[in-house]
Amino acid sequence: MARKILCVAEKPAIARAVATHMSGGSFQTHAIRGNQYVKNYEFEFNFGAPWGNCSVTMTSVIGHLTGLDFERQYKGWLSCPPGSLFEAPVKEEVDKDKLPIAENIRNQARYSKALFIWTDCDREGEHIGSEVRNQAKTSNSRIEVRRARFSNTERAHVLQAAREPVELDEFQANAVAARIELDLRIGAAFTRLQTLQLQAVSEILKEKVISYGSCQFPTLGFVVDRYLRVQNFKPETFWGIKLMLQREGKKVNFLWKRVHLFDRAAVIMMLERCLLAKKAKVTKVNQKPKSKWRPLPLTTVDLQMMGSRFLRLDSQTIMKVAETLYTKGFISYPRTETDQFDKAIDLKKLVEKQYPDNRWGQYARELIDGKFRTPRSGSHNDKAHPPIHPVSWVNPSQLNENEKKVYEFVTRRFLACCSDDAKGKGTEIEILYGEEMFHANGLIVLEKNYLEVYVYDKWESSQQLPNFEKDEMFEPTEANISEGKTTAPGYLTEPELIGLMDANGIGTDATMAEHIAKIKEREYVVVNKRGSGRSKIEELIPTRLGIALVEGYDNVVAGLPNSISLSKPFLRKEMELRMLEICAGSKTRQEVVQQSLDMYREVFIHTQRRIAMLKTACRKYLVEQA
Amino acid sequence: MASSEQIAAQILNTKSLAVSQNWLNTFLTTSNSAQRNLPASALTKTALFRVLASDFRESLSTSPSSILPVDIFDPTVQERRIQGPVPVQVLDIEDIGTSLWSQVEAIERVERGEAIRGREVVRTIPMGDDNEGADNGNGRTNNPAAPNASGSSGYGPHRLIIQDAAGTKTVAFEMKSIEGISLEKLSIGAKLVLRNATVARGMVLLNPGCATLLGGKIDALDRPWKQDRKKRLLERISTLQVVGAVQLCLANNNAHWATLNCYF
Repeated sequence: MARKILCVAEKPAIARAVATHMSGGSFQTHAIRGNQYVKNYEFEFNFGAPWGNCSVTMTSVIGHLTGLDFERQYKGWLSCPPGSLFEAPVKEEVDKDKLPIAENIRNQARYSKALFIWTDCDREGEHIGSEVRNQAKTSNSRIEVRRARFSNTERAHVLQAAREPVELDEFQANAVAARIELDLRIGAAFTRLQTLQLQAVSEILKEKVISYGSCQFPTLGFVVDRYLRVQNFKPETFWGIKLMLQREGKKVNFLWKRVHLFDRAAVIMMLERCLLAKKAKVTKVNQKPKSKWRPLPLTTVDLQMMGSRFLRLDSQTIMKVAETLYTKGFISYPRTETDQFDKAIDLKKLVEKQYPDNRWGQYARELIDGKFRTPRSGSHNDKAHPPIHPVSWVNPSQLNENEKKVYEFVTRRFLACCSDDAKGKGTEIEILYGEEMFHANGLIVLEKNYLEVYVYDKWESSQQLPNFEKDEMFEPTEANISEGKTTAPGYLTEPELIGLMDANGIGTDATMAEHIAKIKEREYVVVNKRGSGRSKIEELIPTRLGIALVEGYDNVVAGLPNSISLSKPFLRKEMELRMLEICAGSKTRQEVVQQSLDMYREVFIHTQRRIAMLKTACRKYLVEQA
Repeated sequence: MASSEQIAAQILNTKSLAVSQNWLNTFLTTSNSAQRNLPASALTKTALFRVLASDFRESLSTSPSSILPVDIFDPTVQERRIQGPVPVQVLDIEDIGTSLWSQVEAIERVERGEAIRGREVVRTIPMGDDNEGADNGNGRTNNPAAPNASGSSGYGPHRLIIQDAAGTKTVAFEMKSIEGISLEKLSIGAKLVLRNATVARGMVLLNPGCATLLGGKIDALDRPWKQDRKKRLLERISTLQVVGAVQLCLANNNAHWATLNCYF
């Protein structure tokens, strides 16, 4: 009898897609007992040496198999002081609803020679892989474990991944295990403490769970910080000098090099000195080629930021849609930090796949007929996944509205990456008027190139400038004082928030969208829609509770040396950096868990001692100002 | 030992500062014996350092060419020139290229121990370091990413209030950037020498050609100025909300607007 190999993917759809490619389309499907989504697909496959021809069972889990929780006696909200949750014993158990899936794996593993892990290739996937392995080993301790490395479900790629398996990355799995334990302990301790203490403050909070999460709170902190900046803002008047020249029937507006100043007397004095000089002198006439660079290859953070800006979808929706497109085999894995294409990828072949499209098929053809350019390389490489790109063409009628939008964006972005920069001619005139410098710029777009397919970028010719000679003197037609006022920054938008989270190490590209969704769900922030159509803006505004929590925690640590408020990103960033150390193998899981717990325990003790600050803040916003 | 005449001549030649005999004599009698036995050049150096830390009204002698005209702030005078050299000291400095409110925000970031690097919020107080000085605003400058305690990015240009040895004050405006004139680097009481400077509508126009920065500070003025900077900014912002215009420096500027209005 042929050797049997068990393959386990992270989701049923991936299992089906991989099984389809490996079997060439002919496989038998078996339902499993107790779960309607997970199926076992059976077929033959030749893995090449050393496995050869084997009978394969391809199945899947649905995300994590196990969960971590406290022992029973610590589960009740009033069972123990919240602070003891930093040390209370925890145990890892298969989630109740995942029991049939775990059992299926144990059953299938029993007669298998080897287990191939097909979970997504990222940190989380590595951990899920380790959970699958643990189940398999309980029924068959001698089973050999391998890991398929893949970043999309395109056929050739899948077959190659099946034949060249690697080892499971224990470091990454451990980093996730550490993160899970920290999130549980820190989250539960603070959530219980603040919920129990604050429920009594106001009627509104009586039945409410006021959850804490080490990513949620800094995320909330960014929203509150911006909100307060907007609220506290004080407009100020500034003055500038406006200069206009009429020549060749055109009005040329020159911009003041100082832009504007906050001192009226000084600006008037300067204008007077300009007027006294009567004539302005052209000090520089510069004509140079200008280009607008094509975009970098697409990362997850960029997809979320650009997506919410151009497609008007929130980041969580975008990620869900991208996930679906990936699972169906239309785009590559959508969780990646890489913004450079590996030289081994045949980009032209990917471009050719877009020929059938009636929106950009013609453009793709032109690229292959000579306009193709090797994409720019960014500076990030997560060494796991390529930038997000389309792996096959899909007829738009097969997609729903949101899928269409996201697929279109990913594809246009990819084609733009493979195009030439937009080219133009820039003119820069600089003049000296009295002692003040002014300048005027002109732009003529000569070749649109990537802009033709990447409709999201704008670069347009300006009004054409009349001719100027260097050193010529002229008398400006008009010179005036202009007056303006500073304006408050806008409330935080989702793309901005993602940018802040990314820059400050809050969450991973995979989890940012969830954290934002969480603070909305907890009613710490609400989304305020303003404007309509293309100018529609969705702003994040904190609720009274959201502001109260941030102010409360800031007050808790106010004046304490070296104590950091939970509303700031610093503690979480520390923790995130330590995860990377586990991945690099320079720290163990235990070390990191202990260090990070110590860090948060200190803040916890301060919070407990100064809980009155937190209560006062809640009373202020929820009772007095309600 | 160097005589007071030698020292005075040396300082006058190198720095264009006419140090008063009285002040120099006091300096020499109060310096200790170890200092008095120093070579002339070292003693002159000490004296110069003290002059720069002094109040010019006490340490310099005045002559008609070394002081500002008493009506220098007169806004009706379109333009005049001061030959100099005129030594002056700085009584106030403001960044007028930046709004008051953003300066307040920057100061508050420093108070919280944060700095902004692009989109990233950076913590400027090293963690786990039991540095007592961490909350008094010092001991932060060892981090290169940290802005100075003034919290300003220092774009400028700057508006100064300067005072000569006779006590005459006026506004000076940094027309071209001068190395060392910034909220971070310039202390209150710092000394400048003006040569052949243009004065327009009561404002001295500073540029590297006509203003030589000698440095120094007056401690008794500098410390309270720095301590109260945020308070002053906030006060000015609240008056702005009422008045709606910046007219704090020259109270007698109304004539100034009137003369200029004919231009516009």
